[in-house]
Amino acid sequence: MEIMYLLVPVSVVLVFLIGVVFWWSVRSGQFDDMEGPAYRILMDDDDAISGRSVEAKVKADAKRGTGAPQK
Amino acid sequence: MSETLSTYNYKVVRQFAVMTVVWGIVGMLVGVIIAAQLVWPELNFGPWLSYGRLRPLHTNAVIFAFGGCALFATSYYVVQRTSHARLFAGGLAAFTFWGWQLVILLAALSLPLGFTTGKEYAELEWPIDILITVVWVSYAIVFFGTIVKRKVSHIYVANWFFGSMILTVAVLHLVNSAEIPVFAAGILTPKSYSAYAGVQDAMIQWWYGHNAVGFFLTAGFLGIMYYFVPKQAGRPIYSYRLSVVHFWALIFTYMWAGPHHLHYTALPDWTQSVGMLFSLILLAPSWGGMINGIMTLSGAWHKLRDDPILKFLITSLSFYGMSTFEGPMMSIKTVNALSHYTDWTIGHVHSGALGWVAMVTIGSLYYLLPRLYGKPEMHSIKLMTVHFWVATIGIVLYIASMWISGVMQGLMWRSGNADGTLAYSFVETVKATYPFYAIRLVGGLLFLSGMLIMAYNMFKTIAGGSTEDAPVLVPAGQHA
Amino acid sequence: MGQDNCYHCGLPVPAGLDLSVSIDGQPRVMCCIGCQAVTQAIVDNGLSDYYRNRDALPDSPREAVPTVLQGLKLYDHADFQKSFVRDFGEGEREASLIIEGITCAACIWLNEQQVAQLPGVIAVHINFATRRARVRWDERRIKLSDILAAIVAIGYRAYPYDAAMSEDLARKERRSALWRVFVAGFGMMQVMMYAIPVYLAGDGDMAPDIELLLRWASMLLTLPVILYSAAPFFRGAWRDLRRRRVGMDVPVALGVGAAFAASVWATLTASGEVYFDSVTMFVFFLLGGRFLEMTARQRAVSVTEALARLLPAFAARVAGYPLDQAQEQVMAAELAPGDVVLVRAGETIPADGLVIEGASCANESLLTGESAPVAKFPGAAVTGGALNVESPLFIRVEQVGEATRLSAIIRLMERAALEKPRLVELADRIAGRFILALLVIAAAVALAWCVIDPAKALWITVSVLVVTCPCALSLATPVALTVASGAMARAGLLVTHSHAIETLARATHFVFDKTGTLTRGHMQLLEVLPLGTVFDKPACLALAAAIEQSSEHPIGAALRAAAVGAGLPVLASVSNEPGSGMSALHQGKAVRVGRPDYVCALHGQPLPESARVFAASSDTVIALGSEAGWLALFRFGDEIRPQAVAMIAALRAAGRQIALLTGDAAPVAFKVARALAIDEVHAGISPQGKHEYVSRLQAGGAIVAMVGDGVNDAPVLAQAQVSVAMGGGSQLARTQADLVLLSENLEHLGRGFFVARRCLRIIRQNLLWSFAYNLVALPLAMAGFITPWMAGVGMSGSSLLVVLNSLRLQRVEGV
Repeated sequence: MEIMYLLVPVSVVLVFLIGVVFWWSVRSGQFDDMEGPAYRILMDDDDAISGRSVEAKVKADAKRGTGAPQK
Repeated sequence: MSETLSTYNYKVVRQFAVMTVVWGIVGMLVGVIIAAQLVWPELNFGPWLSYGRLRPLHTNAVIFAFGGCALFATSYYVVQRTSHARLFAGGLAAFTFWGWQLVILLAALSLPLGFTTGKEYAELEWPIDILITVVWVSYAIVFFGTIVKRKVSHIYVANWFFGSMILTVAVLHLVNSAEIPVFAAGILTPKSYSAYAGVQDAMIQWWYGHNAVGFFLTAGFLGIMYYFVPKQAGRPIYSYRLSVVHFWALIFTYMWAGPHHLHYTALPDWTQSVGMLFSLILLAPSWGGMINGIMTLSGAWHKLRDDPILKFLITSLSFYGMSTFEGPMMSIKTVNALSHYTDWTIGHVHSGALGWVAMVTIGSLYYLLPRLYGKPEMHSIKLMTVHFWVATIGIVLYIASMWISGVMQGLMWRSGNADGTLAYSFVETVKATYPFYAIRLVGGLLFLSGMLIMAYNMFKTIAGGSTEDAPVLVPAGQHA
Repeated sequence: MGQDNCYHCGLPVPAGLDLSVSIDGQPRVMCCIGCQAVTQAIVDNGLSDYYRNRDALPDSPREAVPTVLQGLKLYDHADFQKSFVRDFGEGEREASLIIEGITCAACIWLNEQQVAQLPGVIAVHINFATRRARVRWDERRIKLSDILAAIVAIGYRAYPYDAAMSEDLARKERRSALWRVFVAGFGMMQVMMYAIPVYLAGDGDMAPDIELLLRWASMLLTLPVILYSAAPFFRGAWRDLRRRRVGMDVPVALGVGAAFAASVWATLTASGEVYFDSVTMFVFFLLGGRFLEMTARQRAVSVTEALARLLPAFAARVAGYPLDQAQEQVMAAELAPGDVVLVRAGETIPADGLVIEGASCANESLLTGESAPVAKFPGAAVTGGALNVESPLFIRVEQVGEATRLSAIIRLMERAALEKPRLVELADRIAGRFILALLVIAAAVALAWCVIDPAKALWITVSVLVVTCPCALSLATPVALTVASGAMARAGLLVTHSHAIETLARATHFVFDKTGTLTRGHMQLLEVLPLGTVFDKPACLALAAAIEQSSEHPIGAALRAAAVGAGLPVLASVSNEPGSGMSALHQGKAVRVGRPDYVCALHGQPLPESARVFAASSDTVIALGSEAGWLALFRFGDEIRPQAVAMIAALRAAGRQIALLTGDAAPVAFKVARALAIDEVHAGISPQGKHEYVSRLQAGGAIVAMVGDGVNDAPVLAQAQVSVAMGGGSQLARTQADLVLLSENLEHLGRGFFVARRCLRIIRQNLLWSFAYNLVALPLAMAGFITPWMAGVGMSGSSLLVVLNSLRLQRVEGV
């Protein structure tokens, strides 16, 4: 089973990589709030702009100061 | 760039979404054709349209063309919406679309022409493999680039699933497709041979094969599930914490389950046992995810009654639960002794592919299409419901017939006479499976007709729709 | 929701009120100006999506917004900001805020949107789970008070959140511990993946080179577990050895180190056996047990932390009270005794003081464990940190800062936390000897097996070291004690000395003081007997209370307390006849309240026959009468605390001797004793006598628990092995009692006694278990029946069992 000489090192390297990613995600606070993100995607209003045109929506956002381009 | 920055890149999502339906129809049509060939062998026309060449075309078309386009469309949509950022590198994103279509076209040409590496789910020859690699790397750049430029600190769990899918598939593809092209008469031919030999190749092949199922058809589509189920239900996922645990548990346990495809082969016994053990362990995270998805609807079950999108999504989760239970069971060596090489395996694959992958894809496309084309909803809700029932009946016919025929085959193959000879000749088992092949064909036809209804509905929805891109919503709490 | 409920907060709209706001073109009714202002602000800012997304109703803003806004300017004060604002230079600042009033996810969205749109705000993020917000802003463009005002405008309230140092530390400790557990667990899973094939492979099934490959993979994956996760064990062991002591970490470090070193050697030389899976598993289970223990400990400590955060940052001082009721917002730390502050409904009382105007109730549950709100009226004492529930109160500040009850409670809790309980010391000493013995045994085992079968010597020694590590033994006591004192503190019984729980549980005699302990300790109106036909009971009471309005006599206070909330009639020419009573003019007629003969002198009529028995009772009886005749009789007494009967009965049921000591005269004492069914009563004895009584009991071998009011009983409290003081008094700060009953609710004492006994029982179970476990495991390990991984599972399992068993104390309900 010489193929193990490929598969095992690949797996070990992957494990360390996954470990690093996990470490990063803990450190950067990805798991600080385990409830909010579930709600946040629902607050993202992606309904097709029924009734209101895209333009009006952009304008409304601009007025609120939220839709303006990044500085 | 400042004006394009303020909208999401919906164009590439639209392209992939529409092509998902188109390739779904093509792939399933090929499936129906080969199912018909099994009922009426006369339908094998010439070498190009023979069963042996069409079968890989079917698998490649449904997995990589239909499933792949669905993953591109949904992941591009989800990563933009949840990151509150326009897709990174728009040009590269467009390249992934055209590149992927080219891969599919080349597959559709090369496979019937007989160019194949002979490795299941990786039949495409080396030039196409290289193209796949380039497109996939571009995909990774676009996806992770968007993650990097996200405007919220948290990365939504669906993106973790998509991201792991992209990375793992890249590694799997690179390792498994290592092959040596053939030089014939001094020129480089499109034919190649695997870099691995014998049982080593089999081991690599199923390490790839199983993880392709695990990451392409499971992790990726779980990403879809974790976004579209809560969105369509209008409720947060049942437990976000569980979804994060689900992700990491899946990532950590999937890698070693592959050898269960090689039970009772030349693979060392211990490797097979390891494969079986880890396949059984996999049941836990899989069911955790399924329960999480379905329970999202707890307290709002009534929505299921008249929302066909939720019907698709929740049914897909039920099939996911069913096939992730069936899979580990079939990886138990004693069960495998009966099921291996029978139609049971085909039934299992299709309960996952049609029940889980196709249903969740269809559900999320029905969610996406009106939003992509500036419509409040799909052209016809009624047709969506019709599609749902046609598809569900199709799946049930398909997997039930395959179960019966598979178990029957296994029992017939192993039954022996007192003197040690086999009780049945092979052709007798073929004869016995005949009616079930016919039922399977009916099931496949039903599912295909459901896709045709969807295509009609889709084009009616697109007609007169606006292709303006939605403005990028600045996340709550982030000031410009 | 009907037409008549407020669209914003869901409360019913008062009849006749016509307030509405147009939301997305639809007029919506509002219940008050506050809701209207808030809704208008939400709509004006383009945030009406909130109403579509919310799935829970917000709190009603109740008060008109402007009054809240006044105080916010203070938050811009540089000194004040020091404690919770981080400066990032160039005017960029960040603060943590607690936002009150968040009821659903839409609230978070609404707040984030509202704050983010303010010019000058750089970022805002609200954590859904903790309801804490992190705001970053540009000080040159916007002030913190403006940000807070924007939050107030949409009906929420934000306060700076000053993360206490200790809490921060605890979080860091938790996080790093969690990481170690995770790395160990992850390493264990991965190493298992490479170990299992070897176990599964039959003889000769796996090629030796593949096995070696798997060993190398295991070794690489074990490295982080050894170097990172197991580091605290090695550090601890090294520290112990340098001090020439042996602690718990020594055998663990020896076992882990030896097994790992041998496995590495076996891998490098491609010989022998490897134990990477056992090592990782052992480290994982051990760390898991320690993590659980730490969580339990931190949860117990968090009670103190919660207390320390109770006091509000600001108070509304009314400098010109009572003439000028204008308020100014000041920092609570600036208050001085004598200041008058206004505490609105829903606000926290900023300091200890007396109510001088208003009637309300206060929720003191965090301070005393008493969940029912306590009525507050003029003259009543209020405690800083309590929540004013109903209506505004004017309070004269009596104690501030370190002198408050809250500070005293915190200091007492810290005192208990600093002491090492006797039981724990004992367990530690035993464990220390045990480890020494264990090391000797391990060495002997190693030698013996070197002779019998050298190939097995190493793993058997490792198993012996690991399986018998007395972790469970040393955890058995402290975890149970910590959890128990946390549970008791939540029930209002404060443990101030570490031995208290043990001694309370063991006490054979419970000796009670009477006044203020079994009884409430002050005069109370027990009964009213209306005599005339003119006034009913409440009217009589109101009249009597009005006459006694300015009296300082205990009777007057009791009358006023009984009449709280009732409208008092207006009187003229109130005068006091010391020793007899008081008189006044009510609607032109003379009225008197006082001794029956004093009242009788006003109208000359004899007491009616029906009232004779009432008047002859052993309690104090006071009469009310006018020129026209008798109006009512009032009976006063020191009431027995309502929970006393049940508590005494429970103690007796548990086989405890009960005695009552009091300096009061015999009749009163016997009356109380009869009511409580206490046989042993000693009335009329001096503090010296009490002291002698307790000494006599102790000479007879009794363990005495003395329960007193903590003020007059100091000597006898000190004499008893364990003492419980009532915590209502102002002397809390100086108490030397081992336990303080903050709630003054005797039922809580009963519950505390129950918890203490349960705790002792659990400690015994824990000790028994860990000894029994070692007794069984040690011979098995020495004989070579236990492999290292089994040892790891066994040892950590036994520690885990002990921790989980102790955690059961958290769920003690009732007596």
